[in-house]
Amino acid sequence: MLALRELLGSRLKFGLIAAAIGLVVALTLLMSAMSEGLITGMTGAEGSLAGDALVFQRDTQLSLERSILTRDDLNILAVAPGVSNLYAVGHAMISVDAGAGVFDARLLGLSAGFEQLPLVEGRPPQSPGEALVDITAKANGVALGDPVRLSPVDGTLTVVGFTRDRRYVMSPVFYVDMATWRSLYVAALVGPAPGGSSAGGGAQGPGTAGVEERLSGEASIAAVRLDDGVTAADLAAALGDRYEVATPAAAARAGNGMPVMVLAVNGIQVVSLLIGALVIGIFFYITTLHKTGQIAAIKALGASNGYLYRQLLLQIVVLVTLAVVVGMALALGAGASMPSTMAFDPGLGRWGVSLIAVYAMALLGSLFSLRNILSIDPAIALDRAEH
Amino acid sequence: MVTALSDVSLALDRGRLLAVLGPSGSGKTTLLSIIAGLLQPFAGEILIEGQAIHLRSPAEAAAFRRRHVGLVFQDHHLVPYLTALENLLLVPHLAGRVREEHRRRAERLLAEFGLLERLRHRPSALSGGERQRVAIARALMNEPTIMLVDEPTASLDTERGQKVLELLRDQVHSRDMTCVMVTHDPRMAEQADQTVCLVDGRVAPGAGGE
Repeated sequence: MLALRELLGSRLKFGLIAAAIGLVVALTLLMSAMSEGLITGMTGAEGSLAGDALVFQRDTQLSLERSILTRDDLNILAVAPGVSNLYAVGHAMISVDAGAGVFDARLLGLSAGFEQLPLVEGRPPQSPGEALVDITAKANGVALGDPVRLSPVDGTLTVVGFTRDRRYVMSPVFYVDMATWRSLYVAALVGPAPGGSSAGGGAQGPGTAGVEERLSGEASIAAVRLDDGVTAADLAAALGDRYEVATPAAAARAGNGMPVMVLAVNGIQVVSLLIGALVIGIFFYITTLHKTGQIAAIKALGASNGYLYRQLLLQIVVLVTLAVVVGMALALGAGASMPSTMAFDPGLGRWGVSLIAVYAMALLGSLFSLRNILSIDPAIALDRAEH
Repeated sequence: MVTALSDVSLALDRGRLLAVLGPSGSGKTTLLSIIAGLLQPFAGEILIEGQAIHLRSPAEAAAFRRRHVGLVFQDHHLVPYLTALENLLLVPHLAGRVREEHRRRAERLLAEFGLLERLRHRPSALSGGERQRVAIARALMNEPTIMLVDEPTASLDTERGQKVLELLRDQVHSRDMTCVMVTHDPRMAEQADQTVCLVDGRVAPGAGGE
C-alpha cells in the first residue's frame, strides 16, 4: 500500500527517476545490441554455418582465411567415424563494385546447403555466376538482379537473392556455388585471366585454367554433420592432429582477434550493468535518506524492517518495469534510426538476459537502502529535539 | 557513558493524563522512548498492564506497540502522500490488513475530531492544528492501552494548542486510557491530571512521581 501510494503521490519525482533509470536501461540494451551486432557482423556467416562441426587444416588456429582442404582431405573426412555427411565451404576476400563505389566483401562457396540461408528477397543461386548476398550490401548499391563487378579478379556475379545476418569480419558475404567460388578464388590467387573474366563474366584464361585444374576439389573448410550422440570433441579426437575441429560457434569466435573482442564486449556489457546497478542503488539510497524521519516514525508505529524493505522492493520493481518500457522504446528507436550496416542486433533472448540482469542489479542496488533502513532507529522519531 | 535517566519511578492509572515537564536535555524524550519500547533501559523495568516492555526484543516491542500503544510525535510525522483517512488506516495496515470496520472507525474518529470534511486531504493541505488532530486520531486507531504524546502543542499557537490539549484530555478520560505527555510548557502541564518534572534525568523533588 505505502509503496504504490508513494509512487502515485510523487509522480513527478518518481517519473524522473524512472526516466533516468530508463536511460540506463536503454544504454544497457544498446550496448547489448551493438555488442552482439558487432559479434554477429564479425562472425555471423561462419558461426551460423549449418553443421555440428567445422573442420580446418591443421595449424591454422581455426582460421577460415588460412585453411585449405584438398579433395583427399574431403574424402578422408567423409568417411571419418561419426561423420554423417559434409559439405565443402570455400572462402575468399573480394572487392565489389556495384556502381556506388568499391567495397570489401567475402565470398563463401557452398557445395550444398543454400537452404540454410534465410531468404529475405529473391532466390538461392541455381547456376554458376549467381550470388545470394547479405542484405547489408544494399547500402553499397547492390540490387536484386543486378550484375556486380569484382576486382581485382575482373569477374562479375549476378545477385539473385538477399539473406540476412550473414556478414564476416563486418563485410557482407556473397554466397555462390563451389564452381563459381573456385574460379574466383583461383583468379584471386593468380590474377585475372588475360582477355577474359571469371565466374559469370566469361571463360577462364589459359593461365588460370591450369592452376584451377591443379587445385580441383579444394575447399577452405568442411562443415560436418555428425551422427547422433557424436560431438565435435569426439570427431577431433578421432581425427587426431591432422585437422582442427570446432563447433561453428566456437570456430567463429576463435579467429580474427575474436577472443579479445568478445572479452572486451562482455566487459562493456558487465560495466554498463554495474553502472546501472549503482545508479539505481544511489537513487533509492538518496530517496531513503530523505525519508529517514518518516521511516523512523513508521517503524515507531510498529512496522518491521521486512515490511519496509518489501515496500522498497515493490517500488523498485514498479519503477524498473516502467524504466524497462522506456528503455526498450528508446533502444528500439535508436536501433531503427541506425543504418543497416551498423552493428546492431537486438536479439530477444539477449535482451531478455540483459533485462533480467537489470532487475538483478536493481535488487542488488536496493541493498544499499536496506542497510540504511536497518540502521534507522525508530527512537529518532521522538528524538527530533531533546526537550 | 551519559546517564539520561536515573531513579525515575512512576505509576500511572487508567484514565489519567500525566504531563512530563522539564527543560531541554532533562530526559523527557528518553523516558517516552523507554516506555514505548523504542529504547531499552540499562536497569529498571517498564510494566504496562503487568506486561514487561523492557525485556522485549525490538520486533516484540514493535508488535506490542502495534496492539497497545498510541504514539503522537511532536512534528506529527503523518505520511505526506497519504490522505488523513489513509494515515489512520496505516495503523491496521501495519498490524495485518485493513477491514471495513477499521475504515468505519477511522471515519468516526476523524468526524469526532471535526475533520470529516478533510478525510481525503493530504497533510500538506491541512493546517497545523488539523495535522496534530489527525496524528492524535491515528494514535487512537488501535484502541491503545497507553498513549505517548511528544510535545503535541509545540508547533501550534496558544489557542490551537489549547484545543488540541482539551481534545487529548477528553479522549484520555472518555476512553479510560493512560496518557503520558511530554511538554516544556508549564501552562499545558498544569492542565494534566498529574505532573512530573524532570531535571537532569531525575524527578525533581516535590514534582510528582510515585
